[in-house]
Amino acid sequence: MIVATPRFRLEPYVQFAQKAMAREATYRFDVFTSIASVLVRVYLLRMVWVALYARNTAPSDLPLHAIITYSTVALLMGLVMDIDQTRMLHDRLHSGDIATDFMKPIVVPLYFFADGSGEVIFHAVLIVPSLLLALLIVHIDVPGPLVLGTFFVSFFLGYLVGFCINFILNCVAFWTLEIHAVQLIVTWVTDLFGGEIIPLVIFPAFLQKVAFALPFAAMFSTPLLIYIGVIKPERYAAALGLQAFWVVVLGFVATVMWRAGAKRVIVQGG
Amino acid sequence: MNHLRVMLGVYKQYWRINILTTLEYRENFLIWFAFTFIYHGSAVLALWIVLNRFPSMNGWTFRDMAFLYGLWMLAHALHNTFFSTVGDVPDHIRDGEFDRILVRPLDTLFQVIATPGQVFPDELILALITFTAATWYSGVQVDATFLIFVPLIVAGGALIDLAFNLFISTVAFWFVRVDALRWIVVQLEQEFTRYPISIYSRGVRLLLTFVVPFAFMNYFPARFFLHKAHESSMLPAGVGLLTPAIGLGFVAMAYVFWRFGLNRYSGVGH
Repeated sequence: MIVATPRFRLEPYVQFAQKAMAREATYRFDVFTSIASVLVRVYLLRMVWVALYARNTAPSDLPLHAIITYSTVALLMGLVMDIDQTRMLHDRLHSGDIATDFMKPIVVPLYFFADGSGEVIFHAVLIVPSLLLALLIVHIDVPGPLVLGTFFVSFFLGYLVGFCINFILNCVAFWTLEIHAVQLIVTWVTDLFGGEIIPLVIFPAFLQKVAFALPFAAMFSTPLLIYIGVIKPERYAAALGLQAFWVVVLGFVATVMWRAGAKRVIVQGG
Repeated sequence: MNHLRVMLGVYKQYWRINILTTLEYRENFLIWFAFTFIYHGSAVLALWIVLNRFPSMNGWTFRDMAFLYGLWMLAHALHNTFFSTVGDVPDHIRDGEFDRILVRPLDTLFQVIATPGQVFPDELILALITFTAATWYSGVQVDATFLIFVPLIVAGGALIDLAFNLFISTVAFWFVRVDALRWIVVQLEQEFTRYPISIYSRGVRLLLTFVVPFAFMNYFPARFFLHKAHESSMLPAGVGLLTPAIGLGFVAMAYVFWRFGLNRYSGVGH
């Protein structure tokens, strides 16, 4: 049974987000390890690219400093992008609490979104110390305001794509509860085909075609290629448009799955 | 002698239960097998993509790197198959199960190793296939030295893994939560063993050779079998055959530390 929502109020969702932030802040060790992990990877990727560029001819549009910038910014983005913002949906399906959530006078998906956003904002704050410490290991290029501004817009669109993919995966839990392995598999595929570890432009031609046709490229590759200037301003509209296209398509799939899943819970009585 | 027979009987039962459990949860097993396959598959694919564009990493080709990866994978899978349960000690301590293990009349560490779960030698089989293919592909000469030393080196590599697994689990006698520490060591191993250590700075090379000697799991032996001794003047080629001794030495140290921790352990107050 769903209680009709009388009048929409934003305050509860702000509260949910604040609660989530406070919760995340209590895991100090996790904070420490996420920053340490970023720094270790910054070092590792720097050494890898230096070694590769030392003995081979460099690609003309991707000099060493650009690829090191790419990797470092990708790792910092990962602090936010690699969070499973809607894990709560899966957890509450597991515990059965989802049944009582439906009875509360709230919009349930928005509740999950608020909780996830709180977590994300907390991790976004970690980018600052990580960036400062990373600058001790590498030098990164900072582009002009137009590029930087477009990068942030593109990053946000990429974040929405990631959110939808996570939401869809967590919706699978309506039908089968064992989704952890599937999520991990998708994470590996995203890391590689999203361009988080290796820029898609150095993939061999046929793999590049595959990778650019998948939605994962909209998560990391597009904002990062804008940042390092491989995507030039005249192609900004097309690049952002493609990202927006994926947000709409995946958002639609997520909505359909959510409706079907919610119906299932309500019909079965939780 | 009688004691040994009892342990052997227990160990047989342990594998019987593992295999029966796996057969019972077949879908689960298949999903996790897909995970293992895609994890290693995407790692190798990433190496291939990079080395397809940049054919030499400090003198190592993709063929060399395939051998490097195969060797690590085999040793790591051997450890995961037989000793991954050692990593459950912190969980046993936290939920009080460890106190029950302590009062039973069999060696504590043996009981920990033989605590049934859902272990199946699937990763080991996959690793054997990968290593065989990588050996053939890299053109390493399979002679008497290879046939005698590779099994010993793989066993030694698994012991290096075991030593750190046991060491971290022992730390849990004092600090119950060791997830962060384990996570850092695991990351150090998985990501830094993927490339020849000659690409790192001196400090990291020394760390991976003498402090957390993961370089002995694959780099030094691969350097020996691929005849790349000239590339790093740090140590002679022959050290590549020392892996079994290093593994035994580190496991011995970890075991002494374990015994020390066990004698000091007084429970977490259940």
